Amino acid sequence: MKLELRNIQKKFGEKEVLTGISFTAEGGKAFGLLGRNGAGKTTTIRILMDVFPADNGEVLLDGKAIQYGKVPIGYLPEERGLYPKKPIMDQLIYFARLKGMNHKEAVKSIDYWLERLGMAEYRNKRLDTLSKGNQQKIQLITALAHRPQIVILDEPFSGLDPVNAMLLKDVVKEQIAEGKIVLFSSHQMNYIEEFCDQIAILNNGKIVLQGELNDIKKNYVRDRLVVRSEDEERIMRELGACCSENEEGGLIIQLPSANDKQRMMRTLANTYDIDEVKVLEPSLNDIFVQYAENSHTNNQAVGVMGKGEGRQ
Amino acid sequence: MKQFGTILKFELKNYFKNKIFVGITVFLVLLIAGVMFFPRISGMFHRDGVSESKERPVMLVFADRTEDMDVIRQSFTASFPGYDVRTGETDLTQAREQITSGDVECAFVITGPTSYEYYVDNLSMYDSKTMTADEVLQNLYRMNAMVGSGISQEDAQQILSAQITHQTKNLGKNQAQNFFYTYVMIFALYMVIMLYGQMVATNVATEKSSRAMEVLITSAKPVSMMFGKVIASCLAGLIQLVAVFGSAYLFFNMNRTYWDGSGIISSIFDMPLDLLVYMLVFFVLGFFIYAFLYGAIGSTASKLEDINTSVMPLTMLFIIAFMVVIFSMTNGSVDNLAMRICSYIPFTSPIAMFTRIAMSTVPFYEIALSICILIVSVVGVGVLSAKIYRVGVLLYGTTPKIGAVLKAVRRG
Repeated sequence: MKLELRNIQKKFGEKEVLTGISFTAEGGKAFGLLGRNGAGKTTTIRILMDVFPADNGEVLLDGKAIQYGKVPIGYLPEERGLYPKKPIMDQLIYFARLKGMNHKEAVKSIDYWLERLGMAEYRNKRLDTLSKGNQQKIQLITALAHRPQIVILDEPFSGLDPVNAMLLKDVVKEQIAEGKIVLFSSHQMNYIEEFCDQIAILNNGKIVLQGELNDIKKNYVRDRLVVRSEDEERIMRELGACCSENEEGGLIIQLPSANDKQRMMRTLANTYDIDEVKVLEPSLNDIFVQYAENSHTNNQAVGVMGKGEGRQ
Repeated sequence: MKQFGTILKFELKNYFKNKIFVGITVFLVLLIAGVMFFPRISGMFHRDGVSESKERPVMLVFADRTEDMDVIRQSFTASFPGYDVRTGETDLTQAREQITSGDVECAFVITGPTSYEYYVDNLSMYDSKTMTADEVLQNLYRMNAMVGSGISQEDAQQILSAQITHQTKNLGKNQAQNFFYTYVMIFALYMVIMLYGQMVATNVATEKSSRAMEVLITSAKPVSMMFGKVIASCLAGLIQLVAVFGSAYLFFNMNRTYWDGSGIISSIFDMPLDLLVYMLVFFVLGFFIYAFLYGAIGSTASKLEDINTSVMPLTMLFIIAFMVVIFSMTNGSVDNLAMRICSYIPFTSPIAMFTRIAMSTVPFYEIALSICILIVSVVGVGVLSAKIYRVGVLLYGTTPKIGAVLKAVRRG
């Protein structure tokens, strides 16, 4: 299964919100849609879900225009909220039925999910009697109960305690393993790094970077080394300005260019008592900050990164 | 279509699970039961307390010409059957005190053959005793005059008591008879549209402010949402009306004999069937057109507090329509120019045209035209409202201006 957005454009009044968004998300993999606040993530998701049409461009599923109503889509919005005064079961059934399930199927599936998320005891309680984290789990059920083929999770981890976050991680992994298309939108880069094979970074309605996360990292300019050594103080002293302390331990050495990598490694190994030396791969956080922050100046330099076409 | 059914069922269930909705309906039914059974119950009390009925209010009559006193008393007693008429018992000063203290209800002091003074403690708005007294004294005066000029007493009496009979041949509708049920129906329509319109607006705004909308708008089509909500509230309103008027009709028939004397109440329940059908048609269409707009307005409000100010223009429009109709009804000129125009404007036609049908004779093509305009408008307003709704529910922050919303709707 393959979900494809092609050249999606959208204007609100005079303001161009999306200027030609294209990306492909595949079944059995998680796709991370990143971007700062107001970058156009929610608009992209709404177009993808047919809340409003795009001015231009198309949404394809397996190469054909997506048929809304036939392809179940699950959505966990960033702005959470259901009916606070209504019993949980009633509203979950309502939402599942809106998405096309019959009553019997809905009850069965909802009961499974309530059990799976440890919420069975709240089945007939009113939503507003639950804690925030538990309300969020109920909201997650509205996104998953109707067995969607495409799952869109907007900031799924915000507001969850570590135990619930772990539970959600397991659920997300299950969904991916079932071959579903999982679309993530989040500011919490560690979760994206953990789940997503592919990412796209949006800025000002444009995709400024996209591709396989591993490739992006590998193809990133490899001009920094991480060194762990007994002689860290000596290295700092002797190499001077190009050294800095790494937050996670060890030293970071900034090279004049990536071509100096081998030479520096040899020098280090021959001169000092070295425990470990490796190329510093950037964290997604670094990449995000760089692209989302500098996109105005970087636009020309940044291409769409896929396999093998890095920014050396 | 399946979604629409799900929404309709869910919304309708909300009404029937709403304690206030159920409470008000039960209260109204009980109230009507109370009113309808009142004559029967009060009749039972009256029969028990026979002694009560003997205590009739006292009316004093004074006259300078004591020679006519008997005749005067007989005439007053005959004309005021509910009163204990007494003559020449006390003097006027005492009588005044008795009136103020409440022992005596009123007093007539006859000062001449054609003049008298009427004493009463608090003059009621509906006091028509002077009219009766005028008549009594006028008759006495005429009688005396006739007897004085040689006509025998019997002849004079016959002349004076001559009865004129007449028959009204009504070619159109009887406005006096139709007035009350038209009034009741118009008022019911007005109340239901106002109440339920506000409920639809609040319902939409609540979903928006609780953010349930985020899931709803991605799960269901705005048109299904809008039509589901409005039709559910229309059904709830109809069911409430049927419960109230149905129980009223039932209770009335159970007590029909006790209400025989009251033409007004009987006229309400003897409403012709075709009018009831028109009532239903105009109720449903009028309800839709307003409820759609109330829903659209509700979708543009971010907070529940904003609703009251947002719906004001629409509410005013409906109040004006209601006022025009009520004024025309009370003037008896339901076919005036304003009413004719209002009969074709979709926002006013439900009550204006219905009033004209009930109280006057309207050619069928005019009714059909009015209903057609209304149906087309309902569909148009429904689709427009669904579009406003789709744009409105995604707008947070300050309530947008109408122009901005319509622009956004046009852009899609």
